[in-house]
Amino acid sequence: MAPKLPTTWGAIQLPPSFLLPDILLPLTAKRGVKYGWTTAPARGKPNRFNQKTAGLPVLEHSPAAALKRKDFTLPLRTGALAVKKGMTALYDPETGVRTPCTVLQVDRLQVVAHKTRAKHGYFAVQMGSGWKHPSNVTRPVLGHYAGAGVAPKRQLAEFRVKDERGLLSVGQSVGPEWFLEGQFVDTRSNCRGMGFAGGMKRHGFKGQPASHGNSKNHRTMGSSGPSQGAGSRVHPGKRMPGNMGGQQVTVQNVRVLKVDAEKGLIVVNGCVAGPKGCVVKVQDAIKKPWPVIPSVVEEIKDVLKETAKA
Amino acid sequence: MAMPTPTLRPLSCWKSLLRHARHQKVATRSLTTYHKSVTFSKYEIPTPGASIEVTRKIKTYPPPQSPAQKFKEPLKDFTKHQISILDPTGARTHLFSKTNPEAAKVGDILLVRLKTGDPFAGVCINIRRRGVDTGILLRNELTRVGVEMWYKIYSPNVEGIEVVQRREKRARRARLTYLRKPKHDMGSVQNIVLAYQRSRGAMRGSVQEKKGGKKGKGKKK
Repeated sequence: MAPKLPTTWGAIQLPPSFLLPDILLPLTAKRGVKYGWTTAPARGKPNRFNQKTAGLPVLEHSPAAALKRKDFTLPLRTGALAVKKGMTALYDPETGVRTPCTVLQVDRLQVVAHKTRAKHGYFAVQMGSGWKHPSNVTRPVLGHYAGAGVAPKRQLAEFRVKDERGLLSVGQSVGPEWFLEGQFVDTRSNCRGMGFAGGMKRHGFKGQPASHGNSKNHRTMGSSGPSQGAGSRVHPGKRMPGNMGGQQVTVQNVRVLKVDAEKGLIVVNGCVAGPKGCVVKVQDAIKKPWPVIPSVVEEIKDVLKETAKA
Repeated sequence: MAMPTPTLRPLSCWKSLLRHARHQKVATRSLTTYHKSVTFSKYEIPTPGASIEVTRKIKTYPPPQSPAQKFKEPLKDFTKHQISILDPTGARTHLFSKTNPEAAKVGDILLVRLKTGDPFAGVCINIRRRGVDTGILLRNELTRVGVEMWYKIYSPNVEGIEVVQRREKRARRARLTYLRKPKHDMGSVQNIVLAYQRSRGAMRGSVQEKKGGKKGKGKKK
């Protein structure tokens, strides 16, 4: 028989129940499907040591890595929105060399908003050009313009910049003198839409012979691949008839020939995609050295002098 | 608080103790203190019944001044400006103007003098009017080979354009491409041009003698 325990056991004053440790209390369910999303144990930090991937290069799939990759090609300052007015030519009076050129016009271009790394994940300047009657603008968008303190704009576009130094203050007007004569720019615009085009027009297929027994198949694309076995399917990306044109086309390294602030004109060398009247995004060329802007140099003149002395 | 007094089964007191604690925990859970709700919203929720004044009007700003509205056809202005630089006297424009009855027309034999290189003469078979890009297509035969040359009339390389011979009857086509066909080909116009140049030279001599003789039809510069 078990020895008799002192009867004073029950006389021990227990502390209040909320002070008792949980393990002493009977088990009540705390985790379960009805209490939360998962019943799995909470995940701790993965062990940093003795990993299978040790020594392998770090995968660069983070937003930070993406920004770092783009760092080299992102322009330092914002671009401009312009309207293509048409093409003409310039002659050099000395050499007589004819230079075909495109005339672009800038219309009431202003900074409307900023995109920042902290809030949006990247740096960009939202620019608006033209003017739209407020009665044609929805109230949410009207509020967006009112917040920026600018009139409602016809066109809006974002121009990515490298860092916060490229963020021009909101409401600031930008004219054609933003670009220097002789500098290089990239132009982006939507090219002329061709509608639904066949293989001959869209991809330059040869078509089929006019005769030799050919019947009603002169401009069709013909076969779309081999048959039997592995060939008996159409490969993804097979060029076929479809919608042609109307997509954005970038023309890189276009030289700015003339800038007319009074008339709002930018005259660039060569052609720019799209019909007359289309909207063109103009920004510093990414494949050329960034332009040296006199006003910016003026601001950091002292710093430059000091570095030159040192 | 009922105190169990276990004598025979000392551990059984635990069961009643724990049951008691559990009940107490449930009981204390319902005891709450006064809690003032804190809103995390930026906006205050109006008390029901209170009259709310809402400004429905969104402030709009007037559009800034625009050069684009003043210069609605910049291409036209730009071309005009270019022509005024390249052709300050307006002679070249006048020579190919549609309003000028004395203008050079298709079918005329034209002579283009160049700043560098030999002059070229030929029948004008096409005038492509494109503002500052206006060009003419001349056809001639050199060493029995048909030759066609395009010249931009405002190009600084073109020193002058002269009308050597006019077509007797106005051409009823805008482009005389049929002149390329053997049936209509004018062949070489070199003889006509040479004769014209000789007469010009003679006239120039007489002009120099007389001072103010009648000038040729052709226009210089």
